[in-house]
Amino acid sequence: MEGLNHVGDHRNSLSLCFETKYSYCLNILYILSILEGAEIKSSYLKFSTWRDSVTSPVTSEPVNRNPSAMDVVQKEHSRLLKRTEASQGIKNVQSAIDSLQAARDAIAADPSAASTTLASLQNSVKSSFDSINDSLKETHSGLNKYTKSLDKLFKDRPLPSTDDDGLSSHESLINRAIAMHLLREGQFGVAATFLSEIAEQNTIYPVTQNGSGPSNTSASLLDIDEVPSTEIRKQFASMYYILQQLQENRNLLPAIEWSRENREALEARGSNLEFELCRLQYVWLYHGGANNQGTASGWLAALEYARQEFHVFVPRYLREVQQLVGAMAYSPNLGGSPYAALFNNTSAWDDVAHFFTREFCSLLGLSADSPLYIAATAGAIALPTLLKLQTIMKSKRTEWTSENELPVEIPLPPQYLFHSIFVCPVSKEQATDENPPMMMPCGHVIAQESLKRLGKGNRFKCPYCPSESHPKDARKVFL
Amino acid sequence: MAAELTSTKLNPESHIILDQPLLRLPHELARRNFKTVQRAVEREKEYVIPAIKETAAASLSNTQTPDQTLAALDAMISRMQGLKRKMESLQEEEKKIHNQSRKRIQHLETLHKIPSLADVKYDQWSRVRLDRLLVDHMLRSGYSESAKQLAQDRGVEELVDLGVFTQCQRVVDSLRRGETKEALQWCGENKAALKKSQQYIEMVRTQDKSKKIEAIIHAKKYLIPNHQSQNSEIMRAAGLLVFTQDTRAEPYKSLFALDRWRFLAQLFIQTHHELLSLPSQPLLHIALSAGLSALKTPLCHSAYTSSSSNSQSTSTSVCPICSTELNELARKMPYAHHSKSYVESDPIVLPNGRVYGKQRLMEISRKMGSVGPGNVKDPTTGEIFHEGEMKKVYIM
Repeated sequence: MEGLNHVGDHRNSLSLCFETKYSYCLNILYILSILEGAEIKSSYLKFSTWRDSVTSPVTSEPVNRNPSAMDVVQKEHSRLLKRTEASQGIKNVQSAIDSLQAARDAIAADPSAASTTLASLQNSVKSSFDSINDSLKETHSGLNKYTKSLDKLFKDRPLPSTDDDGLSSHESLINRAIAMHLLREGQFGVAATFLSEIAEQNTIYPVTQNGSGPSNTSASLLDIDEVPSTEIRKQFASMYYILQQLQENRNLLPAIEWSRENREALEARGSNLEFELCRLQYVWLYHGGANNQGTASGWLAALEYARQEFHVFVPRYLREVQQLVGAMAYSPNLGGSPYAALFNNTSAWDDVAHFFTREFCSLLGLSADSPLYIAATAGAIALPTLLKLQTIMKSKRTEWTSENELPVEIPLPPQYLFHSIFVCPVSKEQATDENPPMMMPCGHVIAQESLKRLGKGNRFKCPYCPSESHPKDARKVFL
Repeated sequence: MAAELTSTKLNPESHIILDQPLLRLPHELARRNFKTVQRAVEREKEYVIPAIKETAAASLSNTQTPDQTLAALDAMISRMQGLKRKMESLQEEEKKIHNQSRKRIQHLETLHKIPSLADVKYDQWSRVRLDRLLVDHMLRSGYSESAKQLAQDRGVEELVDLGVFTQCQRVVDSLRRGETKEALQWCGENKAALKKSQQYIEMVRTQDKSKKIEAIIHAKKYLIPNHQSQNSEIMRAAGLLVFTQDTRAEPYKSLFALDRWRFLAQLFIQTHHELLSLPSQPLLHIALSAGLSALKTPLCHSAYTSSSSNSQSTSTSVCPICSTELNELARKMPYAHHSKSYVESDPIVLPNGRVYGKQRLMEISRKMGSVGPGNVKDPTTGEIFHEGEMKKVYIM
């Protein structure tokens, strides 16, 4: 709310007045847009004016009711559970059996009393059935109340009714993603079962898979038909082994060995993984290594390790190596030295494990976190907005016309932004390969199409600063 | 009024859209269970009460020997004992269902205690959800063993519906083999709910194709009770009996086709899911198609390597859409809409046109051994430039 910042500004009361009114209007629009829940791009909903939002049939975000719908569900359910446990149904059946049995015994003992016994039996059995039905009725009403609470909880929140989600035809790609996810999470047993079940089903019911598009360049490691190749399976198995050693046994050696084998590739990435691992090993040795005894022997072991290993790092990490070795001078009172932080980093092991995973996956061209996890989570976050959009569009009988771009912005947590985003400040369109960002000589960037429109082949003034330039002077930039 | 670019707000009430079947399914099972109890009680009541009345009347009018009276009572007792046994097993089932529901409600309630999407607890919760979605997907695709194993490994058995789907799968398998027995049995169990369903009749019809005589008996048994609702279908089914299997006359030809079995299996799955208010698609598909679009940017399938997120540079993590697992899958998806640029702070451009955050670029170059002082190395292309060649770039 730009305008709000000006409210406190007393330099010019006239402008203040104007600004306040202006900000007030903006506020209303803003609130309406919140009510609407989703800001719809005007080009998609051409007639979406603010008045529409007022009359919009879409309900606003549910106000925090007290108690919440979830609480009600919980309460109704525990009531239902209690009722089930206290159910008299079976007891009543037993009492009917008992009276039948008693009547039978009575008649067996004295057949002459049969008609009177049977007459009273009739009543008692009937009353048993009545109580059974009463208890059933109670259960029934409990079930209904629970149904209602569920309906309320999920009110206005139907699951999206997409006939074609664009994914069903890519079953094999989804299965591949799942298999890789399982491998990545170290669930090798499940992954193996999964792959063999897929293979089995493919032999029994050969399905004609349509739309397994052209494999992309980085897929060389993975053959689409041959869902996770044995190569990737091996890779993940070794990654999992190294991580397990690192986290559970505090054994850095397999990780260090791996980083040595891949030294060149890591160095090209500017990764200092090998050094980080060796440094941790050094610190670990100093603290007594595996047997965790006094520092005296640890001190020696660390120094010995430094003598053997650190010379490789001297050209690149001279300062760090100097710090590590220099710290030894303070032993055994390292805690009070300027180097304390280096040696007492509680999250060091987790950091290194995370670092290792990221480097390992990156060398395979894979993202560090499971993409399936990130995508599914992002999907769950995005769904409410997308559903609201669907409802709005249905109620306004509008079609979402752009196939390439979602018509609504979905706010995700910052860690879900992976790429830089360039939105042309002139056209408000996102840059694409066809319409890339162009930098003018003054350093301002606009999209290529905007550049063409502004310049029309002649010199033109930058929309953001006074400098003039020719469109052909603008250069394509890569974000 | 652009919406916020990023948000970590967690609204638990709208966040559980995907979790409806989690509570709905056990509830449907509980209701079905209840109806079975109700029917059983009703049946015994309708037998026992008139039976007592008759026996009483008979003994009053002395038309019955005492032995006959005792025999009648014994029959009643044994039926009531049968009812008791049945109710006991149903009550066990009911308890199991309710306990499962309770665990699921607890699972959803934890979400209410998580303050924001950035919280570590949300991460854990979401991982459990992914496991649930995966099991759901596996079960629907018929990979029951994997589903079971995954559920056990992750300890989410109470949160997934192994039993329901395994049963469904068994029927589907038998249908694909060309057997209708299991499917008919299922239909029998769910007769009440299936009243309007066309499926019942479909099942029966296909049976006709094997043996004619058997088919006629079959038709008498299963088709006649349905003749009011499905008259034209039955006429057609009866017509089938006249034609041989290699007929060319439509519609009979298509009814004899082998594809019919696959169609039936599909129809069965559809009806089964509808009855239990299960969505027709795997939940994973719903989550993924939303998630892929929300994450996708035009850069994910660009011909040029992105400077901001690629596998060449250690200071960035590979974007999940660019990662091999999902890249192909996301190709046809729309990309997310953004109304504001989002770039690294203090962006500079190198002579090759690549844009980086100044701090990050300096940091990377410092870490790389081969870069001399005063130089920077483009982490994407590997080119080396002098620091003076960095040019400030303004991105609005």
